[in-house]
Amino acid sequence: MNLQFVCNGEAVRIDVEPSARVLDVLRDVLGLTGTKEGCGRGECGACTILLDGKPVNSCMLLAGKLDGRNVLTIEGVAEADGSLHPIQEAFLDKGAVQCGFCTPGMVLSTKALLDENATPNVDEIEEALSGNLCRCTGYGKIVDGVLEASERLAQGSKDHGA
Amino acid sequence: MNYLKPSTVEEATELLGSSQGMILAGGTDACVYMAEGFCDPETLIDIGAIDALRGIEARQDEGGDILWIGACTTISEISDSDILPQGLRQGAHAIGSPQIRNLGTIGGNICNASPCGDTLAPLLSLEALFVLRSASGARTVESADFFTGPKQTVLQEGELLECIHLSTAACAWTSAFRMIGNRNGQAISQVNAAVNLKLEDGVIQAMRSAVGSVAPIPLRLPQLEEALVGKTLQSIQLSDLRAPIMAEIRPIDDVRSTATYRQELAVTLIFDALMDCAQQDATAREGAAE
Repeated sequence: MNLQFVCNGEAVRIDVEPSARVLDVLRDVLGLTGTKEGCGRGECGACTILLDGKPVNSCMLLAGKLDGRNVLTIEGVAEADGSLHPIQEAFLDKGAVQCGFCTPGMVLSTKALLDENATPNVDEIEEALSGNLCRCTGYGKIVDGVLEASERLAQGSKDHGA
Repeated sequence: MNYLKPSTVEEATELLGSSQGMILAGGTDACVYMAEGFCDPETLIDIGAIDALRGIEARQDEGGDILWIGACTTISEISDSDILPQGLRQGAHAIGSPQIRNLGTIGGNICNASPCGDTLAPLLSLEALFVLRSASGARTVESADFFTGPKQTVLQEGELLECIHLSTAACAWTSAFRMIGNRNGQAISQVNAAVNLKLEDGVIQAMRSAVGSVAPIPLRLPQLEEALVGKTLQSIQLSDLRAPIMAEIRPIDDVRSTATYRQELAVTLIFDALMDCAQQDATAREGAAE
């Protein structure tokens, strides 16, 4: 099936099996290996991408559903010049990254949250990240990272406005 | 595998009639079944791009005013809706994770027909009607009659679930949902429970209640409803609920829980849902008094 969609801001046109998982299309066809496969059954969130701005599990999304949609993977979060997004910087500075396998999904779930709610409280953060498992951090530092990112983004938009 | 993506309901029912394909809505159950080899359909009919199967709207029906829910409306859209009753929204919110709720659909939760599906007890407590459509026409089935066993429904070959009808009157009552799983996020219910009460001055004028995961299908609890109608909500004790609930449910031991624990949960969760309604009623009456 010929599919046309937007991936990380660029128009993509590919011919793939529509019953293929989007996770496999991203990794094996488009070479976007930042999206990870953890459980492969929708429980761990390592494969999280944003579809039309909303977090979804790419292991449970079939390629045939991509036509006309807008996809954001971890590769599209940093700036084009390679400088990190404030969420990524805050995660690094707060020690929210250990082995890093869950991090792409965590960053994307955080981005979806902060795009909707710029100043979430801890309950809202835990709710938004409830579909992302981390076996290293114990989550405390990830929550700290999200709070820090929220402050930096607010500061950034203030600076930008001034 | 053939992958068909109709853009209208008519096209979908024709393809379903001719291909014997498997319906794919959000895919959150179907993808796991396919990945684990529980099913290997020759043809998938993806109804997720049919606009006429999405949305939540107030409509008029022969039977009166209804809330119409398209089968492919996502679980997130149900959970976030400000026009749907609290119990159904709470049930939708209890499902999976944000990622799963953004893909999964209410029609999928219904047609997957798991005894633990978290929208099912709320739908039964609202006496929801399901509209089933095939190439030869449509029929309407009461939610309590739709489920025939675990993963089994009255859907015939060639039929799909098109939409859900809720009576606006039933949606105006006070409703609540409770579930218990192993943790808060991503957990599958060990038991879930929903109540929908018509209250006047804190007295139960009418009641619809349902529980899931305590029988092969989600169950209405008519004996409980009969026992509680006429009572003041605040006066209800946990012990009032035990006998009428035990008379209806028949839980089993399985991977997620034991029959004994499920009995305790059914009683406690119905009680918690009733107390949630009491809280909502108190808040509404305070608001009205101001």
